[in-house]
Amino acid sequence: MTLLELKNVSVRYGRIEAIHDMSFSVEKGEIVSLIGANGAGKSTTMKTISGLLNPSSGTIHFDGEDITGLKAHLRVMRGISQAPEGRGVFPGMTVLENLDMGAFGRKDRSGMKADFDRVFSLFPRLAERRSQVGGTMSGGEQQMLAIGRALMSQPRLLLLDEPSMGLAPQFIKQIFSIITEINEQGTTVLLVEQNANQALARAHRAFVLETGSITHSGTGRELLANPAIKEAYLGVG
Amino acid sequence: MSTTDGPTLVPDAQAAQDAVNRESASKKAGPFQRFGDRWNGLRRPQQWAFLLIVVALAYALPVLDIPILTTEPGNDWPITCFNMAIFALAAVGLNVVVGYAGLLDLGYVAFFAVGSYVAAMLTSPDSPFLHIPYLWTVPVAMAVTMFFGVLLGVPTLRLRGDYLAIVTLGFGEIVRILATIIPAMKGQVGFQNVGRPPGTAADGSPVFSNSNGTPWYWLALTIIIIVLLLVGNLERSRVGRAWVAIREDEDAAEIMGVPVFKYKVWAFAIGAAVGGLSGALFSGQIGFVNNQKFDVPTSILFLAAVVLGGAGNKVGAIIGGAIVAYIPLRFTAIADYKYLIFGLALVVLMLWRARGLLPARQRLLAYGRTAYQRVANRDSGPPTAVAAEEGDAK
Repeated sequence: MTLLELKNVSVRYGRIEAIHDMSFSVEKGEIVSLIGANGAGKSTTMKTISGLLNPSSGTIHFDGEDITGLKAHLRVMRGISQAPEGRGVFPGMTVLENLDMGAFGRKDRSGMKADFDRVFSLFPRLAERRSQVGGTMSGGEQQMLAIGRALMSQPRLLLLDEPSMGLAPQFIKQIFSIITEINEQGTTVLLVEQNANQALARAHRAFVLETGSITHSGTGRELLANPAIKEAYLGVG
Repeated sequence: MSTTDGPTLVPDAQAAQDAVNRESASKKAGPFQRFGDRWNGLRRPQQWAFLLIVVALAYALPVLDIPILTTEPGNDWPITCFNMAIFALAAVGLNVVVGYAGLLDLGYVAFFAVGSYVAAMLTSPDSPFLHIPYLWTVPVAMAVTMFFGVLLGVPTLRLRGDYLAIVTLGFGEIVRILATIIPAMKGQVGFQNVGRPPGTAADGSPVFSNSNGTPWYWLALTIIIIVLLLVGNLERSRVGRAWVAIREDEDAAEIMGVPVFKYKVWAFAIGAAVGGLSGALFSGQIGFVNNQKFDVPTSILFLAAVVLGGAGNKVGAIIGGAIVAYIPLRFTAIADYKYLIFGLALVVLMLWRARGLLPARQRLLAYGRTAYQRVANRDSGPPTAVAAEEGDAK
């Protein structure tokens, strides 16, 4: 069943069109990867889905509802949650306060215990550092915090913008394992990545983005095996 | 899988943590920091007892007239106290806008002016409008300035940073110029005999006279305490957390489900209302309002008060406001150079304590400790671990 559907979406920054006539969909329970080089429009796509940017044309449907003009904070209530690029943790807040902010829109404070427990079991490091201020944590820890915080709103769709950016190789593997685990617990995941290898290997389906348009699509394995993609994104020629 | 079977800690993080530890260790050397630590170490009843003493001293301030502190013979001491209170109150209001929500407002004097004019136009015999008792003008002034806050906020709060600062700067000037050109607002002629609270002394003279600052100061101080309690409650509530989130990262706040725009308008409206309140008190004591007092430098002085005290810290704002009002009245010989002196003082302060006399971070952590205990016990993890940490902290 389709959870998220973009139809002919274009996004402009002034006169520059960052995304051109893009259409794709995400099914319930999937991990979908968008890969592409710098400036391909990956982050723009994510911001458009989370509502930080508005498309100049096209429609976005979430779970059958048209959310095209909906404000970002209302999309959170519908079940779309984003871990932003560059992590975007609140630097002056502790780990607990950051996680608490993630649950800002929720009414059921009593149900939050389970989510704190879930985040701390996915990321034991966060439990250890619960009183540390976000801005003083390492890149990998901030990434964990950003993902954990995004989970606090009990999303149906988790948007991850470059979760591996700036991380050491061991951390990258860990982060992707955790993403798979989150997905197996029932959260649909849409992620954008430059790190095509892991992103494709973990994804059910994937799309390749070039200068604002989708140029290839298929299952993660198909794209991994595609020679053109290998050459362009996987660093093997 | 768990993250603990990965590498222990990347070198970066270790270095960053070391830097933080070093920094916090060196910060403890400062007198204010030590005071803050000691304050946080006290038990609740001790804190209350200490606060009671401070409040009692604050009320006694105009009567005590301590020789070194006093501004006499140049300036009347109780009236100086009142002016300090007015600046402190305005700084508390501006602190909501600048310190909590992180919105740079360079035209705050406009709200102060609106409050002053509302009080004057509703009480002065020079005004052709409806007249009401002075004390009633205080809530009216707050409501009107709040309305102006929303009026200014709705179109401008979609702007960010520098743009917002420029628009608010313009707004500050617009209010002053309107006061000059609108005939009903009487420009430089202004309004005489602005109303005062009721009450007559034994000899038949009014308690709240223009020449006696003490009752005015007590009224202002009482209002400051009420406003502090209200603002403190807001700060600890959901609204306060939303403001801090907006200040730290607006986009991140939005995707956490914070209606950013709405909370920015609220910060603006609440800040405006407190500014208006302060203006209404000011015009009552002076008894005269015209267009001369509400210039850009006054806005900057309000902002200097907030930054000096430590943006985001309401106690800091009070201290900052009091200092900014006190210095030129105490050192009358140098009063003409007050902007030069404040400028230098701010430069020195930025080098020495970039976050103001009472930095907000300390407050945030203090807030964190209680909130955290609550969240941790009720909503997460093993409460015993947190309790143990709490024990260690003490």
